[in-house]
Amino acid sequence: MFQHTPLRLTTLALLAAGSLAYTFAAGFFGLEILAEIAILAILVIALDLVAGFGGMVSLCHGALLGVGAYAFTVAATEAGLSAAPAMALAIALSAALAFAIGAVCARSTGIYFIMATLAFGQMGYSFVFQSPLFGGDDGLAGAPRPDLGAIGIDLTDSRAFAIYAILLVAVTYLVAAATLRSGLGRSLVGLHHNEKRLRALGLTVWRAKATAFAISGALAGLAGCLAAQHTQYISPGLLSWTVSGEALVVVILGGLGTLVGPILGAILFVVLKHEISALTPYWHAIVGLILIAVVMSRANGVVGFVEARLATRKPQPLVKEAKADA
Amino acid sequence: MLETRNLTKSFGPIQVTKSVSLKLEKGERRVILGPNGAGKTTLFNQLVGEIIPNAGSIHLDGADVTALRVADRARRGLSRSYQKNTLFDALTIRENLGLAAAVALGKGQGLWSDPLQSPEVRETVREVAALVDLAPNLDATVSAVSYGIRRQLEVGIALATRPKVILMDEPTSGVGPEMSKGFHRLLKSLPRELTILIIEHDMDLAFDVADTITVLNYGEVVFDGLPEAAKGSQLLKDIYLGAWEDA
Ligand SMILES: Nc1ncnc2c1ncn2[C@@H]1O[C@H](COP(=O)(O)OP(=O)(O)OP(=O)(O)O)[C@@H](O)[C@H]1O
Ligand SMILES: [Mg+2]
Repeated sequence: MFQHTPLRLTTLALLAAGSLAYTFAAGFFGLEILAEIAILAILVIALDLVAGFGGMVSLCHGALLGVGAYAFTVAATEAGLSAAPAMALAIALSAALAFAIGAVCARSTGIYFIMATLAFGQMGYSFVFQSPLFGGDDGLAGAPRPDLGAIGIDLTDSRAFAIYAILLVAVTYLVAAATLRSGLGRSLVGLHHNEKRLRALGLTVWRAKATAFAISGALAGLAGCLAAQHTQYISPGLLSWTVSGEALVVVILGGLGTLVGPILGAILFVVLKHEISALTPYWHAIVGLILIAVVMSRANGVVGFVEARLATRKPQPLVKEAKADA
Repeated sequence: MLETRNLTKSFGPIQVTKSVSLKLEKGERRVILGPNGAGKTTLFNQLVGEIIPNAGSIHLDGADVTALRVADRARRGLSRSYQKNTLFDALTIRENLGLAAAVALGKGQGLWSDPLQSPEVRETVREVAALVDLAPNLDATVSAVSYGIRRQLEVGIALATRPKVILMDEPTSGVGPEMSKGFHRLLKSLPRELTILIIEHDMDLAFDVADTITVLNYGEVVFDGLPEAAKGSQLLKDIYLGAWEDA
């Protein structure tokens, strides 16, 4: 079950302090990267909630992010809503779609679940790609940033926007952590380990899965709103399955089912992407090699690796009891 | 409290349940005996809804539940333990019992609080842990405890839902005689109004706890009556002797 170990809490505190301090030290380029990390971090926390804790490995989270980005942009430009209600609408739409996807896919597990979510994601992608309302291949421009002028904050400034993005990561983290501590979160973790038993105990399994997927989808939608506000231009590529695949890579890199791991993974991924792509166009290959190394190490990502190292220093329990079940 | 009428189930050409009719009164403790492969577990699977019968009906507390799904039957107070441990291996014993209690209390989908911290769930965990002798192990992870302890947890999870009817599938299989005796003491200490259906291989212990006995053989009820009558039954001796010789 989900735990806040001292190590993880320390990591979180350092990440919060470090990123906020960095916003004051960084130049324009650094702040842009920070916002990019924050958007990815929100997406991967959302994905870790269902994939890492619930075993629902999704390949439609990119599409859910894209739905959020498009819904926000259309609501703010075509429908003329201001940023806050447009965000609420976009998040609600992503959540509703995620609930439906979760409900339909609840019966399947493992590879079939992955394939079903991939199919839903591709449906979303081609819908947006084809539809003239959404600008097709050309994408849509003009997503506004929220107007916080009333409290003296100008989000068109990169520094203010980076801080705003970091705060949204914190909100996302708190939502995910609170979900995991709730009855639903307890059931979600239980489902990962023994769906049959939970059903026999009286849990309506499809609804638990769909609700968890909806919360995750809402967070992915939030990441989409932020992505639209960041670049102020969106294209169907946001919904592409490669976005989902990348998110999965980041979660695995950081550590499945740890919440804090995926944040570290997001930092690592974005920084590597920028650093290595400056040196060689083959940066994907380098990231691939790192991923292979992480998987081969058999640790649960960066967090799992560090935690396993620290654990081996502690004295082992004296008695290792029988593992076999009759 | 729990009744089946002409329950029938086949796997391919083999009839595993042959027109089984059973009736348990509230508070009755019935032991099901029968050799390996007699269809005892398959009967349980149909009772809880994990397997759908080909014909016949199942009634729980006066209502026909044949068409209800597993979770719906559970919510009406039917609980079971498994012959093969079906636990949450990565969680602690406290979390296992707490999750069961939380789900049974309808807190399995809640968003606003941690059910494991709720007074009702904690009370249930404490009570069940005392019953099945797990109080000292509550914070151990399931994958780190012995088989015997897991076996106790298997029944503990079923009890943590505070059921009206509990089905136990060979709760003492694979544990030593000491633990097995402890188990039967536990059974006797359970509230009298709880209806218990239990599959048991050990006949002496079965006779010790049973109000009534049902013997299944090749999917058929071949005996249904009081333990005293079962003891004298030539049929029962033949079946069990037969099973012995096969083994
Ligand atoms: N899902 C299934 N598909 C096909 N055959 C099955 C299935 N489940 C059980 N059987 C068969 O049905 C028969 C009864 O099995 P069941 O597990 O109910 O017996 P049992 O009385 O519980 O035996 P044991 O004492 O060994 O637990 C066996 O021959 C078994 O092989
Ligand atoms: Mg059996």
